[in-house]
Amino acid sequence: MSWALHRIDDRLIHGQVLVAWGSRLDPARIWVVDDGVAASSWERDLFRDAAPGIEVHVASVAEAAAAHAEEAGAPRAAFLLVRDLDTAQRLSESGAHVEEWNVGGLHYAPGKEKVNDYVYLDERDREAARALLLGGSRLIVQDVPASRPQPLVALAPALAT
Amino acid sequence: MSAPRAPEGSSPTPDPSTGRLPRRVPALIVTHADLAQALVRAAERVVGTIEDVTLLSNEGLSRDDLQDAIEACVKDWSEGGLLLTDFWGGSCHTCGASAARRHGEIVIVTGVNLPLLLDYLYNRDRLGAPELAERLQQKGRDSIRVQRGVPA
Repeated sequence: MSWALHRIDDRLIHGQVLVAWGSRLDPARIWVVDDGVAASSWERDLFRDAAPGIEVHVASVAEAAAAHAEEAGAPRAAFLLVRDLDTAQRLSESGAHVEEWNVGGLHYAPGKEKVNDYVYLDERDREAARALLLGGSRLIVQDVPASRPQPLVALAPALAT
Repeated sequence: MSAPRAPEGSSPTPDPSTGRLPRRVPALIVTHADLAQALVRAAERVVGTIEDVTLLSNEGLSRDDLQDAIEACVKDWSEGGLLLTDFWGGSCHTCGASAARRHGEIVIVTGVNLPLLLDYLYNRDRLGAPELAERLQQKGRDSIRVQRGVPA
């Protein structure tokens, strides 16, 4: 069954992912797809140790794109985490097709506009979101399974082109 | 009111110029929502006013901002200290690990609970950060026990 969740969340592995989504979907593997983390041996080790009982793969965008189709056929559930829409878009451009991205946490930073309590976007984010939508991906805003899922376009009408 | 005293016989002498005890191990409690504040309020009900404990919530913060906020709290800890966080693998823990890496002898203890926090307060003036962290890990674990109801 493999891919159970593709999530855009600037905290990568953290409580909502491990406890809330993890309890619901029981992943055997979590792919942390991030060029910065993949380039730092210390950060790779930090994330590999962060989820006891779950196999954590830390990969660059290029490595994850190359492994994406094969992972889809692997037994049990897998999660894929990226920290921002831009990384999601680059993964998509590199050949990984993702039907649905869970938009789980893009926190405030200067210059970003509020979409809801846990999603803030700037123009670069909106560009990446538009590209993902044009590429056929759905973008669904939902921090935890107990929250109501909502399309990002419904919350951020500026995305509609 | 001052911070709780260490157990009798183990209290070092306060520095006369600052009135402070030498080598007190500082602590930063980093948690979800306002758990850190609530834990300290609860601990104060037991031991009175608590000093030299810093509190931080991850509420609304990205990884980078949470890491920066933790670094700002620990940057002046010249001789190390403890980060107490709510659970292993959470953002408070992983961002704390990234921040702590750049600041000397900082040790992280996850799974902070009230007995663990109280034990920290009573031992922070007599143990160094690594020994204190080991002790708190054990105290926190030992405090979790099951009492089964017995029918009358």
